[in-house]
Amino acid sequence: MQLPVLNDTPSHGEHGAKEGCAASSCGTTENQMDNLPDSIREKVQNHPCYSEDAHHYFARMHVAVAPACNIQCHYCNRKYDCANESRPGVVSELLTPDQAVKKTMAVAANIPQMTVLGIAGPGDPLANPERTFETFRRLSQEAPDIKLCVSTNGLALPDAVEELSKHNIDHVTITINCVDPEVGAKIYPWIFWKNKRIKGIKGAKILIEQQQKGLEMLIAKGILVKVNSVMIPGVNDQHLAEVSKVVKSKGAFLHNVMPLIAEAEHGTFYGVMGQRGPTPDELQDLQDSCSGDMNMMRHCRQCRADAVGMLGEDRGDEFTLDKIEDMEIDYSAAMEKRKVIHQAIQAEMDSKRLEKAEKAQQHKQEPKLTTRPVLMAVATSGQGVINLHFGHAKEFLIYEASPYGVRFISHRKADQYCGGDTTCGDGETTLQITIRALAGCEAVLCSKVGYEPWEQLEAAGIAPNGEHAMEPIEEAVLAVYKEMAAAGKLDSIPEAIRAIA
Amino acid sequence: MAVKIIESCVNCFACEPACPSHAIYEAKPHFLVDAKKCTECEGDFPVFQCASICPIEGAILDSFGLAINPPGSLTGIPPEKMAKAMAELQSH
Repeated sequence: MQLPVLNDTPSHGEHGAKEGCAASSCGTTENQMDNLPDSIREKVQNHPCYSEDAHHYFARMHVAVAPACNIQCHYCNRKYDCANESRPGVVSELLTPDQAVKKTMAVAANIPQMTVLGIAGPGDPLANPERTFETFRRLSQEAPDIKLCVSTNGLALPDAVEELSKHNIDHVTITINCVDPEVGAKIYPWIFWKNKRIKGIKGAKILIEQQQKGLEMLIAKGILVKVNSVMIPGVNDQHLAEVSKVVKSKGAFLHNVMPLIAEAEHGTFYGVMGQRGPTPDELQDLQDSCSGDMNMMRHCRQCRADAVGMLGEDRGDEFTLDKIEDMEIDYSAAMEKRKVIHQAIQAEMDSKRLEKAEKAQQHKQEPKLTTRPVLMAVATSGQGVINLHFGHAKEFLIYEASPYGVRFISHRKADQYCGGDTTCGDGETTLQITIRALAGCEAVLCSKVGYEPWEQLEAAGIAPNGEHAMEPIEEAVLAVYKEMAAAGKLDSIPEAIRAIA
Repeated sequence: MAVKIIESCVNCFACEPACPSHAIYEAKPHFLVDAKKCTECEGDFPVFQCASICPIEGAILDSFGLAINPPGSLTGIPPEKMAKAMAELQSH
């Protein structure tokens, strides 16, 4: 089964790299999922990880039942127990399948907008088939209203496809960082395969073959496949466009290119060896260059393997083992309540989509501006509106406004991964770190901004804006864009801003 | 004749199902090897199964007390480089 071409729009003249943005000159970009067949859209429309739209409304959780792994990646350290870091492969408490089921039902009852349960580690879920499938088997019986997902490095995938298809799992994520074993040897030092540890190119070749075979088998079964890739500058950055083409031609429906996270204190190969991650610009350029071939995912938060809540938030502390022990959950009552809430959210999303489409029609009538693109940061806690104080934002969503419309680009973290004290390394304050994280943005939209950050933001060339509180994000970004254009601020390219060639 | 799992084990469960003699068991604070059951895979495999999947350098010792996976052998990080990075962290 081959899926239709996504984002298959002609390039926009000099903005050839911007093919990911909607073809029409409407005020807001089309929904990321609009080009998907109805059958797939139906499956992903309330999935926060697969639908940019849905991630403002629905929550997800991971249960850490899968500690073992069958490969080593250079961005991973298998000493996975850390409460203060937020990145894949990190968890606080390992759960048994029984504990995982209990925790899932407790979260589902208390966070009714939680629609998706994923198993993502901290090792490889399919290298722990008994623990992973026991969890899935019980959840598909006891909590049938929860969508089940699994992510894998792919090595054991071909052997697991049959079992996966039995468990109501309609989404699988495969991490594919390369399709060339020589590139692979720089990412994977070894795999465990047929009772042997196999190093170097030989190991990478087997892994790649298994990933591709697994991908093909899943597509043949009608299971949706998303592909994750870690962008590692100088290692696979040039290669990922090829990966995107290959996985798309085999039927993957979404490609998620994520930045490498590498710090010496993580004790990973890349961290200790000083391999850098990509800059936001490099990541965006690669996502844009892949988007002509493949639908790109840009809102991924690279969650912990035990994350709970909306993307970008972690409510895991509310559901630790000792806390869920004391919770009495009546799941059939919870399911009734969840159904009502899901319907209400769906209705709200549908009406917002309709509203967006109508607004887009109106904008089409307006004269088209001819400015350079501009990046803006937005503080939101969900629902697709600007509703968060500047100082409360742990992350910002980055939007680009241009004559072609408004499009979501990425998110940027406001606080450091280590979550340490207020000053870090060079004596920077949290505010300074946040302002640095917003580099390249020319405005920040939030519900309120305090006096001190206001001054410092202005000094950094980022216009603070609290005038659009509670307004839909795209509308507000468009309004600010128009104001900036009218004021002549977008006529020339300032030095500080990335050159758009 | 038996291998030994020591305190650097991170309890990832990977070795337990790999053992052909069912000699490895979950324990606190880390997994252990039943020395009476361990055969060092003789007759089953040419290489130690536990040490072939174990991701932690130095966590499994052979019967001479030597690390089957010495520092640097699995991650590719030169031990002196790792020591330097950790020392820098400590000094902060």
